[in-house]
Amino acid sequence: MKTNLPVTPQSDGSPVLISATHSSDALKVGDRKPKASEGPLALFLPNRRVGMPLLLVAALVEAALFLLLWILSPFKVLPQPMEVVTALSDLWKNQGLGQELGTSFALNIEALALSTVLSLGMAYLTVIPVFRPLVTAISKGRFLSLAGFTLVFTLIFGGGAPLKLSLLTFAITVFFVTSMASVIAAIPKSEFEHARTLRMKEARIVWEVVVLGTADKAFEVLRQNAAMGWMMLASIEIISRGQGGIGVMLENERKYAAYAAVYAIQLVILLVGMMQDFGIEWLRRLFCPYSVLTLERK
Amino acid sequence: MTSDYSYQLHETLVHLEGVSKSYDGVPVLRDVNLEIKNLVRPGKEQGQVVALLGPSGVGKTTLFRIIAGLETPDTGQVLMGGEQKPVRRGQIGVVAQQYPLFAHRTILGNLLVAGKQVGLSGSAAREKADDLLKRFGVAGQGGKYPSQLSGGQRQRVAIAQQFMCSDAFLLMDEPFSGLDILAQETLIRFIHDIAAQDELMTFILITHDISAALQIADTVWVLGRDRDEAGKAVPGARVQASVNLIERGLAWHDNISSMPEFAQLRQEIRDLYPRL
Repeated sequence: MKTNLPVTPQSDGSPVLISATHSSDALKVGDRKPKASEGPLALFLPNRRVGMPLLLVAALVEAALFLLLWILSPFKVLPQPMEVVTALSDLWKNQGLGQELGTSFALNIEALALSTVLSLGMAYLTVIPVFRPLVTAISKGRFLSLAGFTLVFTLIFGGGAPLKLSLLTFAITVFFVTSMASVIAAIPKSEFEHARTLRMKEARIVWEVVVLGTADKAFEVLRQNAAMGWMMLASIEIISRGQGGIGVMLENERKYAAYAAVYAIQLVILLVGMMQDFGIEWLRRLFCPYSVLTLERK
Repeated sequence: MTSDYSYQLHETLVHLEGVSKSYDGVPVLRDVNLEIKNLVRPGKEQGQVVALLGPSGVGKTTLFRIIAGLETPDTGQVLMGGEQKPVRRGQIGVVAQQYPLFAHRTILGNLLVAGKQVGLSGSAAREKADDLLKRFGVAGQGGKYPSQLSGGQRQRVAIAQQFMCSDAFLLMDEPFSGLDILAQETLIRFIHDIAAQDELMTFILITHDISAALQIADTVWVLGRDRDEAGKAVPGARVQASVNLIERGLAWHDNISSMPEFAQLRQEIRDLYPRL
């Protein structure tokens, strides 16, 4: 009987079905060759692999469309793109936007560093049952308005810069700890048991499974919460205006209906946020290269 | 093919003594008793492979966890080693169904961290890890992460990781599950080869796969539930049958699966399954 299966000769010349030489050993998830990138049509189809140049073209076209929509907008109160660019130049050259941005950036980084340490510490502590109610209670702080904490934080930390730092740290922490505690709670029992079969003591299991095992996810949680920090920064800087900052500048421009300046400041925050996002993602790939090995979109 | 079936059973290596376990008042295991003795073949270095067979849902995984020391039985005990002391977790190498490895460590890192747990120095752990990777046919994969390995490679690395801690016993849960026929044969050969390397090497396989178990094991225990007078299953599995494959001439030689006796025994056990 003839077969359509491909054949390959053995050393003695007899044919062997190629399919019979395959075993599950041949399947290497991480080693598979990337599929060739597809043409522009793939941009409109689900789950297709497209190359970076094509994605860049798509991004540029979308940005151009956005600009066009903006220019043709029927809302006359909205500033035009060139007005925003002009306002940005004026803010940068004459109103100290760079300096205010530096102040806000430093505040955000400091709060982010503090909340990362606090949140990760608290989330890791959830492995000890007695800390779980406390961490759960802290995570519920995300339902509360920051205005309610101004007085108590002023009493504890003082006004001005310490107040802003404590408010922002608190605001980021309540979200960060919630996400990270969920990541830890979602570790499958089998991972703990695997570590136990290797004779690891419970403290070592916490380090191996809880701390190292969730490091890649911790970076992702950090990235999300670092972005939220920028969202909350403006309101916090308005609560305590003493040291200025980009939030104060934004509020001043908004008060005088200088919308071109408002959008210019927003644009700057967006660019800084995108760089921050990129930086954290880069760090994740550097320290946790395994986290992207099996992704469809690397 | 060899016809030399002479062997002696020496000291007890593993002893399950009246092991029972219930969850929420429902018995899963009921008075499970079995004994694995050190099997010695005169003039040969030979470990052994034993299998615990049973249909899905009968309580095999619970028994796996109890033998591994991951769970405590309600009554009874599992005694291990020459001194026959109650099993402690980590005392026996354990390879669960999904071949667990630390995803955040490289293959070599996975082996080294296991070596560290038993007090090996850095250089000793490295030497042992390199040796295991070579013996298990995964040398050169040390720098990769688990997600970059094939199923077969991952399985071998998971076994190697356990051998970093435990040299003598390896407990495997459903090792043949999800493997195609060729991968299954490869694994059977691999376990045979490893078992043959050390007289005290003992593989305990827990599986529902009758054919694979009979191809690889020296002794098989069949786990199942009793039936009451009305034919209804009584909760709580226990050992319903044991088969010495050496006595039946179905161990220690090639092409066992092509023998008529093999097919007959497989059918006998197959016929038991609906009643277990």
